Amino acid sequence: MSRIIQGAPGEHHLFMGNEAIARGALEAGISVAAGYPGTPSSEIIENLAADASETDVYVEWSANEKVAAEVAAAASFAGLRALCVMKQNGVNVASDFLLHLAGGGTRGGMVLVPCDDPGALSSINEGESRHFARLLEVPLLEPGDFQEAKDMIKWAFELSEQIGNMVMVRSVTRLSHASGDVELGKIPESDAKARFRHTGFILDPEQGAMTSAPVGYKHALQQEKLQKAEALFEDAPFNTYTGPENPELLVITSSACHLYSREAIGILGLENRAGLLKLGTTWPLPRQLVRAHLEKCGRVLVVEEVIPFLEENIKVLAAELAPEIGAKTFYAKRDGTLPATGEMNPDHVICALAAIFNLEYRSAPEQYTEKAKLCVLAGAPGRDLTFCPGCPHRASFWTLHNVLALDNREGFVCGDIGCYSMGMRETGFYTLKTMHAMGSGTGIASGFGKLDRFGMDQSIVAVSGDSTFFHAVLPGLVNAVHHGSNFTLVIFDNSGTAMTGFQPHPGLEVDAMGKPAPPLDIAGICQAIGAKVSVCDPFDLENTRDTMLETLDDRQGVNVVIFRQSCALSPEKKGKPRYEMHLDQKVCMGENCGCNKLCTRVFKCPGLNWDEKNQAARIDEVICAGCGVCADICPAGAITKKEAG
Amino acid sequence: MQVFGPSELLEDVLNAGLCIGCGACVNLCPYFRSYKGKTAMLFPCSRETGRCHAFCPKTEVDLDALSTAVCGSPYSGSPTGTYQQVFMARAGEGAGNGDFQDGGTVSALMKFALESNMIDGAVLTGRNGLVPAPGLTTSAREVPAFASSKYTAAPTLAALNDGFNRGFRQMGVVGTPCQLTAVAQMRTNPLQDANFADPVALTIGLFCTWALDTRGLLAFAQKRAPGEQIRKMHVPPPPAGIIVLETDTRTLEIPLEEIRPLVPAGCRICPDMTAEWADLSVGAMEGKAGWNTLIVRTAKGNSLVRKAAVARYLELADFPRENWKDLETAAADKKRRAFEKARQDGTVNAEAGCRAALRVDPRTLEKMTAD
Ligand SMILES: Cc1cc2nc3c(=O)[nH]c(=O)nc-3n(C[C@H](O)[C@H](O)[C@H](O)COP(=O)(O)OP(=O)(O)OC[C@H]3O[C@@H](n4cnc5c(N)ncnc54)[C@H](O)[C@@H]3O)c2cc1C
Ligand code: SF4
Ligand code: SF4
Ligand code: SF4
Ligand code: SF4
Repeated sequence: MSRIIQGAPGEHHLFMGNEAIARGALEAGISVAAGYPGTPSSEIIENLAADASETDVYVEWSANEKVAAEVAAAASFAGLRALCVMKQNGVNVASDFLLHLAGGGTRGGMVLVPCDDPGALSSINEGESRHFARLLEVPLLEPGDFQEAKDMIKWAFELSEQIGNMVMVRSVTRLSHASGDVELGKIPESDAKARFRHTGFILDPEQGAMTSAPVGYKHALQQEKLQKAEALFEDAPFNTYTGPENPELLVITSSACHLYSREAIGILGLENRAGLLKLGTTWPLPRQLVRAHLEKCGRVLVVEEVIPFLEENIKVLAAELAPEIGAKTFYAKRDGTLPATGEMNPDHVICALAAIFNLEYRSAPEQYTEKAKLCVLAGAPGRDLTFCPGCPHRASFWTLHNVLALDNREGFVCGDIGCYSMGMRETGFYTLKTMHAMGSGTGIASGFGKLDRFGMDQSIVAVSGDSTFFHAVLPGLVNAVHHGSNFTLVIFDNSGTAMTGFQPHPGLEVDAMGKPAPPLDIAGICQAIGAKVSVCDPFDLENTRDTMLETLDDRQGVNVVIFRQSCALSPEKKGKPRYEMHLDQKVCMGENCGCNKLCTRVFKCPGLNWDEKNQAARIDEVICAGCGVCADICPAGAITKKEAG
Repeated sequence: MQVFGPSELLEDVLNAGLCIGCGACVNLCPYFRSYKGKTAMLFPCSRETGRCHAFCPKTEVDLDALSTAVCGSPYSGSPTGTYQQVFMARAGEGAGNGDFQDGGTVSALMKFALESNMIDGAVLTGRNGLVPAPGLTTSAREVPAFASSKYTAAPTLAALNDGFNRGFRQMGVVGTPCQLTAVAQMRTNPLQDANFADPVALTIGLFCTWALDTRGLLAFAQKRAPGEQIRKMHVPPPPAGIIVLETDTRTLEIPLEEIRPLVPAGCRICPDMTAEWADLSVGAMEGKAGWNTLIVRTAKGNSLVRKAAVARYLELADFPRENWKDLETAAADKKRRAFEKARQDGTVNAEAGCRAALRVDPRTLEKMTAD
């Protein structure tokens, strides 16, 4: 049982944003929650899943975001409230379905929570999801603090049912992953009954078939729903204004940027000069509300992450209203007042405000800044992102790198998102050469594998994680086999969705709620699709190398090699080293010709470091995870392993 | 002799396309490896000097220094190098049978050297399909399994280095002239390692005018005889101008013109036809099938040949004078072509501050390249 279902109404708890969202969903009386893991969204489903036995909510980690949206939609069609959760780019995956869903409408309340990652703190993009609200023509809410994160979810469900369409509630990393005070509400008793009514007239939203066709009629209806939402937004409790009656500058903001803006105004002491309009309902904009504030001020600063979404929408309103309220001067991203990319922070807002108000502002004395810069240069060790000690990916990329070098045909690896994305960096020996969306490695390899007719004779390898395999690799693999593409797909089967915290996937024997589930056999699936399949343990360097060399030589169709070894942090491994390691510094060749620090200069497991005094390598017993791999790479036999008792 | 490091080796040899895959740089350390006839560098190594560079026969080979170390005098430029005697030879009845390339002299001598404990291991080159598969054997009985010429450049010395790592210090090596150039450099302790021990007790060189690139030959065979196993290859003496590939069912005669593009660029700057740095050099016997040309170069080689003859492992006969003329002409031709090519490429005696593939006294160079 997680802490989010404990606590009586009126009590105050310290909740992480994602916990607040989950609690809000429970207070809204949801029956179904579905999602796909992805930072910063994962804790929402995790918390709901942990309480599933208590709450009677059906919770699942779906195979991908589109399926999650479909699963949630089914609950809504059957009259239940359903929550659907994903990270920002998950919405791209789900968008095809979402477009049709939004066109056809929902019944039981359906709320989609995308968690965006401005600054790409744990993503390889900072694409955001807000513009989907405009594209899909559904209402968008953005909580500005932790309390709102909870309350807004409940409100969103009510809104969804009032307008008969899904509602988006967008969070960001700094809200999802930071914690704050939340006053609890009541979690209702559940007596939900599911029934899909479909025998009515086709256009009947409550009894007919669910679809976005006929488009002419349904699209007009969808627009009406949006207008209804806008009307409700005019009085929404999440739009607030603080500041003077007639400010010199109107700051319009939303989400976590509201906190940065408040702080910036406070630090500069502008409380009596700048007004802060914090919007919780950002699409469609409540026209009258925004007008009332624009009217009173000639200058506007818009603070938001990441694309100028709010800025543009407000500018459209301002242009429409200009004949009545006059032209406004805007400061925001498009004019360069605020950075166009990356995360927002109080400093950016302070600088913007200082420039607009012509104020001197220094966050620290100049001398201090200069000195700090020097200290950082001299004192901070250069640290790249690295795989954990004992991580199977280090061994896997070691072998992939080496076999491609031996193969000597300028071969390369196409990959996608997962811990193994770091294969693009030093820790993965710079082996990964393309990295895009989930499953893209396989799709791209499928394309490369057909270019032999244009003289391409390079060896092609695609990599994917086990969870990714189910998420988005299957269509690419099917495509490749059907079209006779030539490449090798390596599936890193580390038994879980390791990057996001070991959420189960269809290949495992449990589901999100911890109940037994039939595991799907990746090898069997690949075989059935028509690929040649082999399995190896990446910690067995020799066998893995030989298997890979053999597959690279077989230039006929698709080979799948499953690298099976669980993650070093997996619950069954953590803290239980397989081997006791020993490094004999007298045997170590160190910098001499014959080794030249292979283990600490190239292999670079954090468990190994260079002992300057003895001019030899040494094992850091605290960090070493006892995987034993370094013993097999040391050319001198200086590192030995002994099965741990 | 100037010794640089792996970066220079990568730049001047591997990336310049001059590598002949001899294996001298392989298995010394984790960085150079050979696979299917091609040598690859797996990771960069930052050392400024290395055995990889010092051993490589395609960069900074100082012929005068090498000749001084091996023969006691600077490189003379004579077509067939320093030698004591030349014989016609073939395996005697004591040596047993085998699928020898010509007279079986090489196999017979290696067998005898193992049996008489002159060497503790024999570094030989077998094959795996068309891919040469070097190995070290300690058993005389296994020697015939390595018989016959693989006309592909082979990483034979990877097996020598491996033997060294495993503790062998008295190995016998059979190799082509480039391979034995590397072995000769190896034996001069170029890195001046205080703990150096010469691991080689016998070198038998094979005559060679060119070899083929393994992967090129694989692709060629796949095109010309798809699905068929090539069992044996031989190159009949001029003026035949063909290479003969024997498969399980037929014999293919391929004009040398067709196969020449498969000769690695490294062969084109190789000045050695008769394996001048070996104890003994062995080639085919022109006009006399089933026999070998055997050049005895060192006292050690001489002693082995005598003993093997007494033990009836080897049958010796006088070498006809007119054959020697032809051999010298062929060897001198190869030298001239190689140095001319190297001069064209700017890789012989490069200017001060630049690196060279070959170094030799300019007067000797003049002599060798004069028509
Ligand atoms: C690439 C190549 C080119 C040659 N070119 C000529 C030439 O132009 N003129 C000429 O007279 N002779 C040439 N020879 C030598 C000739 O083919 C015979 O090897 C030689 O006559 C010895 O014959 P044998 O019967 O004693 O050999 P065997 O008793 O059959 O023994 C052959 C030995 O050669 C070794 N060997 C085979 N292939 C290779 C290889 N690729 N690299 C290193 N060692 C190998 C094996 O270890 C084996 O021990 C060449 C040989 C090779 C490998
Ligand atoms: S790989 Fe082995 S020999 Fe080389 S530095 Fe590490 S411990 Fe020493
Ligand atoms: S055994 Fe070696 S490779 Fe494995 S975690 Fe320890 S130091 Fe790292
Ligand atoms: S210098 Fe030594 S350690 Fe480095 S690549 Fe060459 S042989 Fe290997
Ligand atoms: S020629 Fe031999 S030593 Fe030189 S790089 Fe090639 S394999 Fe290594």
